[in-house]
Amino acid sequence: MKFDTIASGVYPELIYPPYRSTVKRGPTQPALRIHSADAVQTNLAMHASLLLPHDMDLTAQGQGQPIGEKIVVSGRVLDEDGKPVRNSLLEVWQCNAAGRYWHKRDQHDAPLDPNFYGLGKMLTGDDGRYRFVTIKPGPYPWGNHDKAWRPAHIHFSLFGNVYAQRLVTQMYFPSDPLFDYDPIFQSIPDQAARQRLISRFSMEQTVGDQMLGYEFDIVLRGRNATPMGL
Amino acid sequence: MSSNITTSQTVGPFPHEAWRWAFDATATLHGSAATIVVSGVIYDGDGTPINDAIIEAWLPDAVAAEQAQAIPGFRRVPSDDDGAFSIEVSLPAAPVSGKPVMFVTVFARGLTRHQFCAVFLQDDPGLAQSEILLQVPAERRGTLIAHKQAQGQYRWDIRLQGEQETVFFDYA
Repeated sequence: MKFDTIASGVYPELIYPPYRSTVKRGPTQPALRIHSADAVQTNLAMHASLLLPHDMDLTAQGQGQPIGEKIVVSGRVLDEDGKPVRNSLLEVWQCNAAGRYWHKRDQHDAPLDPNFYGLGKMLTGDDGRYRFVTIKPGPYPWGNHDKAWRPAHIHFSLFGNVYAQRLVTQMYFPSDPLFDYDPIFQSIPDQAARQRLISRFSMEQTVGDQMLGYEFDIVLRGRNATPMGL
Repeated sequence: MSSNITTSQTVGPFPHEAWRWAFDATATLHGSAATIVVSGVIYDGDGTPINDAIIEAWLPDAVAAEQAQAIPGFRRVPSDDDGAFSIEVSLPAAPVSGKPVMFVTVFARGLTRHQFCAVFLQDDPGLAQSEILLQVPAERRGTLIAHKQAQGQYRWDIRLQGEQETVFFDYA
């Protein structure tokens, strides 16, 4: 598989002082572009047996219904040639409707929902599509600066079909008033690239009177993916 | 911009609950292959250990030896309160000299992009001919070398910044 150089501005800056934690953690040297057959040709075999029954329905993991707005999120995972990345593992995690993560270090003074953990995983289908049901996450304060509130978002982890396609990103919701104030979102210099992290409301994905639908397509690095045998 | 790829965002401080299934699925090894352990600490630019990092390891040459594993050739470990991590590596039956013992991906709060690198063993006689190391400036190759401690134990630290900043890759 071929990996083009990432155009300047598409990926976030590694050191972006408005996002304070980057200052001492972002590498100062540019990434060294190298060739490695293993990295661009070998795949990680993820087996469906690793998935648990409710991994794709984050609203069905507790004893009762979680609190908040039930939504469905779906999209396609593609390579740079628009070919589906299939049978590939996605993990998602998020806070609950009140803006609190199920994590021991989250000290935000908002209630935990005993019926919502915000953890999911799934494999893409042959068409590269994924789909999961969840609760719309709330915004939350994060202490980076005065009035630092994250826009509502869902974290995504993707493995792709070869090692070098690994990606972690975040999906945002349309028309969030916090976009302009969020240093994590703003750490991506290119405006068009930023916009690609915003999901699209979808009436097609909306399920009757049950839940509103959102579409979020993801393009992984690499051309001419899904080689024979993967 | 010509590329329509999806851009990266930090894992933030709270991925552990969602990623724990893989800590559990890859922590223990069963098999007849010889193993070594690579341990170290991940540091920020002040030399402060990073206690919320997650390290993934990809061992393509160990896949054959790990068919009994849930995810052959893969590890995911969190750094602990002291920034320390430890990864058990199955050695392939016929190791190819000069190849990394594992490819590594680093994630943490404040790291807007995950970072790729690889680790080589200090006592591998093929280091001078390594296809990957030869692409790395000579003065920085040492950041990718794990140093032998006791039998089967190697030490390798990750430094996100500073004088000994680890070499990170962008794959072509």
